[in-house]
Amino acid sequence: MFSRDKATDAPATAPVKEVELPARPQEQAAATPIQARPMDHGTSAKTRPASEPSRISSALKVTGQLESEEDIQIDGHIEGDIKARKVVIGAGATVKGTVSGDEVEVSGTVTGKIEAASVTLSKSARMSGDVVHKALQIEKGAYIDGHCRPQGQNEGAGSIPIGKKQSMQ
Amino acid sequence: MLTALWKKAEIVPEDVAEPDISVLGRALKIRGKLDTLGEVHIFGHVVGRINVGRMVLGVGGYVEGDIVAKEVLLCGRFEGRIFAFNVTIAPSAVLKGRVFHHTITVAREAQIEGRMPWRPINFFETLGELPKEI
Repeated sequence: MFSRDKATDAPATAPVKEVELPARPQEQAAATPIQARPMDHGTSAKTRPASEPSRISSALKVTGQLESEEDIQIDGHIEGDIKARKVVIGAGATVKGTVSGDEVEVSGTVTGKIEAASVTLSKSARMSGDVVHKALQIEKGAYIDGHCRPQGQNEGAGSIPIGKKQSMQ
Repeated sequence: MLTALWKKAEIVPEDVAEPDISVLGRALKIRGKLDTLGEVHIFGHVVGRINVGRMVLGVGGYVEGDIVAKEVLLCGRFEGRIFAFNVTIAPSAVLKGRVFHHTITVAREAQIEGRMPWRPINFFETLGELPKEI
């Protein structure tokens, strides 16, 4: 009895709906994984600590200025000036421009100028240009072509503006 | 082509620190151009042009300019144009400008001012700046 009542209550359009319905879940099944995944990424990206240190990976090329009040690790390619508290230029990294900060550690290639209180050139470093420093450390094997002078001395005294010549802005 | 993109997204686990992901921290300001086929997470301030494979604009991050990417996830503030195959806009995002996309997801509560034109796949393929290896 019950089932009959329902059958009579249901309008004639019901079977038409039923025909449409099987098509829909299929569409959704195809669409939801595409939408769901980026949303997952979204939540995990938000939970990441925002104070993560800056890192330019080897695949990244930056043309322009970088400025930070914190530390930067550079493994990629930079054409432009870098200013940060501590700059670490990894082996394989290339920088064309002025690198300035409190502390600069170079294991990669720098063409330009370094201006920092503490400068460290490791054995794999290749530095073409001037180094203005308070404390300088050069490991055996490092390549350096340029003037090294302590901070506070006369600027431009025999310095070659390699950075200006070669940095492409 | 779509499936290939998703497979790649699946392989990269978010929690594992991937060596190829560039992270631009909160204190970092960049004025210029960013170029990579890899992934960039931005929590700082970027003004300029960004050509990346995958970009995540984190909460607190701000980008002004044009983005060309395969995949973009916005959680921060953005002003400009996005040309991305696949765009996700999180609730915390504040967006002003245009988003050229093929697939898009917009979360409730995201603030959006502008247009979001759909484009066919070949639009992104002919963009030139878009990485060819999708």
